[in-house]
Amino acid sequence: MSTDFVKASEQGRVVLEARNLVRDFRTNKRAGAFGREQFRAVDDVSLELRAGQVTALVGQSGSGKSTVGRLLAQLMPLTSGELLLNGERVSATRGRAFIRYTGTVQMTLQDPFSSLNPLHRVSYTLGRALRIHGGPMSADEVEERSLALLRKVELAPAEHYLHRFPHELSGGERQRISFARALAAEPKVLLADEPVSMLDVTIRKGMLDLLDQLRRTEELAVLYITHDLGSARAYSAQTLVMYHGKVVERGSSEQVIDSPAHEYTQRLLAAAPNPRRRLAG
Amino acid sequence: MNLSRLVPASGKVRAGLIIAIFFVLLAAFGPLLTSYSPQASGTELLQPPSGTHWLGTTQTGQDVFAQFVYGARVSLGVGLVAGIISQIVSVLVGVIGGYFRGLSDDLLYILTAVFLVVPGMPLLIVLTGYLPSRGMVSVAFVIAITSWAGSARVLRAQTMSLRRREFVEAARATGESRTRIVFSEIMPNALPLIASGFLFSVIGAVLAEAGLSFLGLGSLTTTSWGSMLYFAQSAQAFLYGAWWWFVPPGLAIAVLGAGLALINFGIDEYSNPRLRTGKSRGRATRTSGPHAAALSTAGAAAAASGVDAPGTAPVLHEDGVGEVAGTEPSEGAAAAAQLRPIDVAGEPIIEVRNLKVDYPGIDRVVHAVDDVSITLHRGEILGLAGESGSGKSTLTNAITRLLRNPAQVTGGSITYHRTRARPGGSRGTDPGSAESIDLLGLSTEELRGYRWDEIAIVFQSAMNALNAVTSVGAQFDDVLRVHRPTMPAREREALARTMLEKVGIDSDRVSSYPHELSGGMKQRVAIAIALVLEPDVIIMDEPTTALDLLIQREVLDQVMALRDEYGFAIIFTTHDLSLLLEVSDSIAVMQRGRLVEYGPALEVYAEPRHPYTQALLASLADMGALV
Repeated sequence: MSTDFVKASEQGRVVLEARNLVRDFRTNKRAGAFGREQFRAVDDVSLELRAGQVTALVGQSGSGKSTVGRLLAQLMPLTSGELLLNGERVSATRGRAFIRYTGTVQMTLQDPFSSLNPLHRVSYTLGRALRIHGGPMSADEVEERSLALLRKVELAPAEHYLHRFPHELSGGERQRISFARALAAEPKVLLADEPVSMLDVTIRKGMLDLLDQLRRTEELAVLYITHDLGSARAYSAQTLVMYHGKVVERGSSEQVIDSPAHEYTQRLLAAAPNPRRRLAG
Repeated sequence: MNLSRLVPASGKVRAGLIIAIFFVLLAAFGPLLTSYSPQASGTELLQPPSGTHWLGTTQTGQDVFAQFVYGARVSLGVGLVAGIISQIVSVLVGVIGGYFRGLSDDLLYILTAVFLVVPGMPLLIVLTGYLPSRGMVSVAFVIAITSWAGSARVLRAQTMSLRRREFVEAARATGESRTRIVFSEIMPNALPLIASGFLFSVIGAVLAEAGLSFLGLGSLTTTSWGSMLYFAQSAQAFLYGAWWWFVPPGLAIAVLGAGLALINFGIDEYSNPRLRTGKSRGRATRTSGPHAAALSTAGAAAAASGVDAPGTAPVLHEDGVGEVAGTEPSEGAAAAAQLRPIDVAGEPIIEVRNLKVDYPGIDRVVHAVDDVSITLHRGEILGLAGESGSGKSTLTNAITRLLRNPAQVTGGSITYHRTRARPGGSRGTDPGSAESIDLLGLSTEELRGYRWDEIAIVFQSAMNALNAVTSVGAQFDDVLRVHRPTMPAREREALARTMLEKVGIDSDRVSSYPHELSGGMKQRVAIAIALVLEPDVIIMDEPTTALDLLIQREVLDQVMALRDEYGFAIIFTTHDLSLLLEVSDSIAVMQRGRLVEYGPALEVYAEPRHPYTQALLASLADMGALV
């Protein structure tokens, strides 16, 4: 169904570019007299996110794909490598520069059940995001814009959701609130870390369709982090496959998934559950 | 309506509040009730309670009631001031240290540790001894200094766990400043701890003040409950039997302490909106428009888990709510169940007939399993599909008799067909002795033999199902000791080793602990433990959902090979329909407690008849599965 746009959006302006990202973590193992052993979670990863295009980052847990997302969001410093936002080098993991950066690059997290503060109503969550990025504004304006955001993520009637607490919402609804919060900044880049993996299969399609629609209407450059090759094929133009911190395969989604070149991608595809396996014998 | 919500539901909390309010009123207005000054001596010495002196008099003729009510002011005042100061210090030290970490945390933690190991009372005595003036505030201040550390340490630990929560990271990704994150994201979540820390500091401070005054270290010119006790003690009131002198202040201290401790029980109720709203607020109905249709189903998730049933109950069985994005909302819920005959070679082993399980809610009953009939045959893999809240876990829990309150079986039957007699654990030799057991009627004792021996369970998260502090071998032992009491230890170990090898794990791992195994290995161990008694049925509740794709494939292959070897039947639960279609012989699709489609897996796959199943398969195809 969604293959039609893939070709149409092959050419988008590069908004965020990552060059040779490396990220090491300290482990608990001792190395030498004072040091600790380092663990390389992300190893020389380069990628480009284009306006109006979804790029999928596929890998198993522990492959480093979520760390790449956090590096792109500047939630943690790089060990080496560089980030280019609209062609300019940026390094802002804290302070005002970081807040300015989040105005352009937003991230949503995997677990809809814990990514909203259980003590805050939806109105607070959205209101904060609006005030951070929109400057001072009146309470009426905040409410009006919050409602617009809720409509944008297709939560209707929006008024119904504004004063809810997270525990009164379903997983899918919460994930939409997370998207709405990210959109409050009017970002150019949306990093979606496993947006559907915690949701029921029946709700997933709605979420992915929403993501696809936002990409089109907001001209968003989307990084879709997932472990599911199938949805990467259906919803993204480009796919990168990560394994042990390295990108082992990249290309257009059709090419990567229909004719995988790397042995790991092939194994992943072969392992996906599929009733046709039985029909084929 | 808001006012009624402020009254706590718990009797303990109410009692605590009444006590606390009583003492506050006593301190505030008590002095108005007496015309005596607490210090003024009179002519009636050491008189028991009477109309003129409600609580009698002291050795110097002072009015005990006047002392008691004025003393309440001092004792409560010191308690409150010390509680506030000490809590402010512990919040600053604990939350800031816990959130920012690094050098400042190290230094603050060392400071906390020093205050924790210095014994409080002696330090208090020494510090008070050097106080230039022993006014109420300075005494409170000293008490606060000696008492903040314990609470700070607890808050630090809580903050360290909260800062790793996703909502904190999400707030950071939104661009929220650190100060805001600390004060409006983390602190409110630590509020129960802060509040209970405050209550305990108040109790501690009231006691410490009483202790200091009793030792004569307080200000002897102001009257407090402690100084009353000091004077009563030095005048040997106990010897004279002047109980009215020392009982009121002593009792007041004890009762106030108990009251504040009781209030503690209610703190959670106030700070957690989930507990606050769950009870009293009739939930506004959920949206059921076409947009929300895709989402509304997940609302039912909580309902079937039982815990949240009262809050989310109305979602279930609301008619006219379409399930799957892309389908028209109307016909999905109304369509009749599509049942096809199952032709599996084996004879029936578990028959569920018209089963109904309800969760009684406050304003309506949730039918978590509604008139479901399925049959599991020997050696069959029955796939149970449905999203969270569809009732599939309730159904399997009914079969294993693991339903917990408030779930109630309100109708139907579950019959288990046992064909083998198993005296003393060895396999019977007479295969013909069939026996039908009504599972719902088993007593607790009979149930024990039936579980694991006949029906074993593999849970979703083996990481949690395995006991983290005992070795793999010991966990095999747990099962074997109960069900095969006569088996010697050596045989038990040998059996455990064999079973591990059967699931593809090196038999030396028998002495490993769960944390030394990978996720896939833990799930295999769980399967091996389920298999050890060679049950006829294994219930697998999302056994591979938490595993990576490649590991899932390995575990599945292993399960299939074992099934071929042992011939057990499996009820396989998952929300991953494509997986079910691949592995199962027959499929049962559940939606909101009802069975909507049931039949041979390949037929259901090739030709789904119920709109819900059709929509499920269509959305799977759209998302790139099934291709």
